[in-house]
Amino acid sequence: RSMNLFLIVYLCILISKALINTVLKYVWQSEPFRDEPWYNQKTEPERKRNLFLRALTDFLAFMVLFNYIIPVSMYVTVEMQKFLGSYFLTWDEEMFDEDTGEGPLVNTSDLNEELGQIEYVFTDKTGTLTENNMEFVECCIEGHVYVPHVICNGQILHDCTGIDMIDSSPGGSGKEREELFFRALCLCHTVQVKDDDSVDGLKKNQLSRRSCIYISSSPDEVALVEGIQRLGYTYLRLKDNFMEILNRENNIEKFELLEVLSFDSVRRRMSVIVKSSTGDIFLFCKGADSSIFPRVKEGKIDQIRSRVERNAVEGLRTLCVAYKKLTAEEYSNAQKLLQNAKLALQDREKKLAEVYEKIERDFILLGATAVEDRLQEKAADTIEALQKAGIKVWVLTGDKMETAAATCYACKLFRRNTQILELTTKKIEEQSLHDVLFDLSKTVLRHNGSLTRDTFSGLSTDMQDYGLIIDGAALSLIMKPRQDGSSGNYRELFLEICRNCSAVLCCRMAPLQKAQIVKLIKLSKEHPITLAIGDGANDVSMILEAHVGIGIIGKEGRQAARNSDYAIPKFKHLKKMLLVHGHFYYVRISELVQYFFYKNVCFIFPQFLYQFFCGFSQQTLYDTAYLTLYNISFTSLPILLYGLMEQHVSADTLKREPSLYRDVAKNALLRWRAFIYWTFLGVFDAVVFFFGAYFLFDNTIVTSNGQMFGNWTFGTLVFTVLVFTVTLKLALDTHYWTWINHFMIWGSLVFYIIFSLLWGGIIWPFLNYQRMYYVFMQMLSSGPAWLGIILLITVSLLPDVLKKVLCRQLWPTATERIQNASRHCREHISEFTPLACLKSPRYRSSDCSNSPARRSNSHSKKMMFTHWRGVNYSVLPSVFGYSNKHCRSSAGHHYSGTGLETSV
Amino acid sequence: IDYTGTEPSSPCNKCLNVSWDSTPPCTCTINFTLEHSFESNVFMYYGLSNFYQNHRRYVKSRDDSQLNGDNSSLLNPSKECEPYRTNEDKPIAPCGAIANSMFNDTLALYRIDNDTRTPITLIKKGIAWWTDKNVKFRNPTGDGNNLTALFQGTTKPVNWPKPVYMLDSEPDNNGFINEDFIVWMRTAALPTFRKLYRLIERKDNLQPTLQAGKYSLDIAYNYPVHSFDGRKRMILSTISWMGGKNPFLGIAYITVGSICFFLGVVLLIIHHKYGNRNTSADIPN
Repeated sequence: RSMNLFLIVYLCILISKALINTVLKYVWQSEPFRDEPWYNQKTEPERKRNLFLRALTDFLAFMVLFNYIIPVSMYVTVEMQKFLGSYFLTWDEEMFDEDTGEGPLVNTSDLNEELGQIEYVFTDKTGTLTENNMEFVECCIEGHVYVPHVICNGQILHDCTGIDMIDSSPGGSGKEREELFFRALCLCHTVQVKDDDSVDGLKKNQLSRRSCIYISSSPDEVALVEGIQRLGYTYLRLKDNFMEILNRENNIEKFELLEVLSFDSVRRRMSVIVKSSTGDIFLFCKGADSSIFPRVKEGKIDQIRSRVERNAVEGLRTLCVAYKKLTAEEYSNAQKLLQNAKLALQDREKKLAEVYEKIERDFILLGATAVEDRLQEKAADTIEALQKAGIKVWVLTGDKMETAAATCYACKLFRRNTQILELTTKKIEEQSLHDVLFDLSKTVLRHNGSLTRDTFSGLSTDMQDYGLIIDGAALSLIMKPRQDGSSGNYRELFLEICRNCSAVLCCRMAPLQKAQIVKLIKLSKEHPITLAIGDGANDVSMILEAHVGIGIIGKEGRQAARNSDYAIPKFKHLKKMLLVHGHFYYVRISELVQYFFYKNVCFIFPQFLYQFFCGFSQQTLYDTAYLTLYNISFTSLPILLYGLMEQHVSADTLKREPSLYRDVAKNALLRWRAFIYWTFLGVFDAVVFFFGAYFLFDNTIVTSNGQMFGNWTFGTLVFTVLVFTVTLKLALDTHYWTWINHFMIWGSLVFYIIFSLLWGGIIWPFLNYQRMYYVFMQMLSSGPAWLGIILLITVSLLPDVLKKVLCRQLWPTATERIQNASRHCREHISEFTPLACLKSPRYRSSDCSNSPARRSNSHSKKMMFTHWRGVNYSVLPSVFGYSNKHCRSSAGHHYSGTGLETSV
Repeated sequence: IDYTGTEPSSPCNKCLNVSWDSTPPCTCTINFTLEHSFESNVFMYYGLSNFYQNHRRYVKSRDDSQLNGDNSSLLNPSKECEPYRTNEDKPIAPCGAIANSMFNDTLALYRIDNDTRTPITLIKKGIAWWTDKNVKFRNPTGDGNNLTALFQGTTKPVNWPKPVYMLDSEPDNNGFINEDFIVWMRTAALPTFRKLYRLIERKDNLQPTLQAGKYSLDIAYNYPVHSFDGRKRMILSTISWMGGKNPFLGIAYITVGSICFFLGVVLLIIHHKYGNRNTSADIPN
């Protein structure tokens, strides 16, 4: 995005340059002998054109001349870099998951660099933080706790744990309830059975009851059914609307399935209506405690509730089971209502919901189940790393608050010293929403004030961070637009609070609410880059809403993975993806963009300066072939490769030090300061090229046979210096050298030389001009041209080297400190000289040797040439080895032939 | 030596407003003294100021294939040559503004020794690039060596007094391969430029090519520069392997060298001062 802004700036520069030149041209031409001297007359039609038209033509001609400053090829290169770069992610072996045999998928290559800019991570809990590998842990029936740890031949081990267990042998009514509970669990689901062998599947199932496989859209249900199987009740199959259950006595019970009131995330429960073989009609309902408890009229609510809450605190997913016995009339009523609702043409969903509401009430509570969902491996590690990297992690989940909070503690989203702020329905019921929000913001802001003090005094800010817990209902209250228009205040207040919390947990969220939250953050003042990660269909909306959507290739289907920008197999891969790949992508792309602007400024600015010396006549400085090929072949490949391969810090270090991510946060490398620095560097270099060549050519003879060079030689000299400087600048910036880098950088320089030799070496029959003929060779045959080229390259690279060294020494960023440290480590191991860690030894060593030369030189002015040689010798070997020979061989000559020149 | 003649005292002042084809040409003589003798080969240049040879309209106003001896372009020059493409319905050879405005002053150098003027031999070959003379520029091909016949059907450039096949008497320096012409056709990069005019070769090893003393320069003044405020100069120069006198490179190398040295010292100090901090750099967790 900032790229486009820069482009606009460059467009302004371009237009202003063209305007300046046009205006100057007409000022300059106001004297007639300049406009049309006798030696250079206009054609008849040119003379007749009116002034305005001419000015416009000139303006457009200047635009065409300078248009290279807008790096069109940058877009091509950026796209290629993104496209090829995305393969690097896919190829990463560390991101490959052995369990599922799947690597990461990249669905879009547009967002690679955004991965390095993430400020908010919104993560789903189930299946993302946790494995979504459910395991039935316990169930609680009227206060009796059953734990199916040990299963011996289908026998349940009736475990008693803690105070909840009142007596180990339940009484008659308890027994009845227990059986009902198990049946309810067996019946109330949408699990399908897949037989291993379709031919004699039934028999096999009877013999070995574990051979059948349950398939369901929700892993909870599978876990429940499997758990119940271990408690003695096996769900066999659904056949002709009859559900068959194998009970503890190995009898098959048949229930006729009458209605399924399917699960949805608003009601958060599902029900079935079944008719037992004895003719009784039952309605079994299973759902989240919050949706079941209000509808229960009898049962041991308090006991079960306490148990449920305890389980939730331990991070287990709880479900409550309730039933209701329906009389035939009630059933037929219900059926009628359902039929009507289902057949309704309009508002069917709404009507169905109403009907469900009517049917599902006055339950008798049976019990609760608890299903454990283990954390994914290294989830805690990942979250910790992300937080250290300055990324705010939000957990958005549909689960209960307690469950979610427990998970958050387990994965270190909340730490022990985190102060938890709660913004829940319960609290809002007590006070008004207004007060709660104000209280919270006061706390947070006070904390914020102290936090800034802390950072100033250098204390660690981890000491007091705030975690916010908010639930869906409270959120909808906040988000709800109010008539009096004060809703904006709430929203902003809420945002203010959220921004100052290091971690936010949103529980009881509907899928749309997740997206709403993401949107809220996305559109907030700072426009932070958001990332949403989730695995299930309920996360799709949030994945689509966030800037970067990541899907986990998980159990709940591939819907999320398909809708996402990136898909990874496990949550832990997010760490590497953001901290390593994202960081690299960002560093690469920012360098790429800046470099492109730099190299085009270098390219075009001499052209601009040249206009002042050619009468503003739009004469190009370079040959057309150079103009065309500069961006295409001379300088494109090294930077593309840099954009693909650069690793300024090794990947391991980045992974180890998440705080390095802060160095690139908030678009640090593409800020205006960096941009202006690069532009000025480009302008400086361009001025050096142009005026260097200008003074070299100005009124002197630069060949050894006295012949003169023309304007094309001048342009070629500038261009040669330009290509070398720009390429070597990239070489200076490259930290990670592979043979491909070497090949590309030196290769493109060699290519430039070969191309120039070829281009000038032949009379090209298809061209109608031969202006480059032998220009390059003639230039190379001249000594001063060589010296000039080397000098100019050195001078133009000098400020950048200087800036780097100074910044590195005096104000090192964390990244650079790490680079230094790793370099030191390597040196200690291999016992290198510590000198190598300074970037400037080449300058120092060279300058020490030429200082005596200068001193001796001050005595005799006529020995000027010796001095040049002295300097040359010292600078050359470090920059270019090959010119050295040239110098030495000619050293003998020039004593005799110093320039004696008169112009009387 | 500036011989433009803008100052009234200058001997060439009378020629200031010459036109192209004034016959007989306005001539003038300038005397000058060499302080030092020139030991090795001397190169004689003419220099022009304020002459925009790098103007775009000017630079492109030529036809390289015509100059390369292509017969079809000889009779049908490229459009780029406008308005110097045709004259009275005959194609111009060589066409274009560059060729049309070729420098046509004639310079002759004399040594004044006890009031006797001895002419100094000026060599007019070897002043153009070898490749230009032998490859890039060629006379049109045809039977016979009679250039007059080969250039049949073309006309001379408007400003020229003579057609192109009468530039020189020697056949290998005539027509398009005339070296003065080739030198002129290589357009200069900057508005103030010089071009090689003649060579003065050292005859024997005993005496310098040009001794210190009095000389005079005879000029057949044909080339008008006053209208565009230009200047004309004649430059004598010797050349080393490095080319002519070029103070820029020397100064630049000294400056850069000292800057590098200075920076080296500064950075060394910085490194020593802050180096310790770096080695024990605490790695932020």
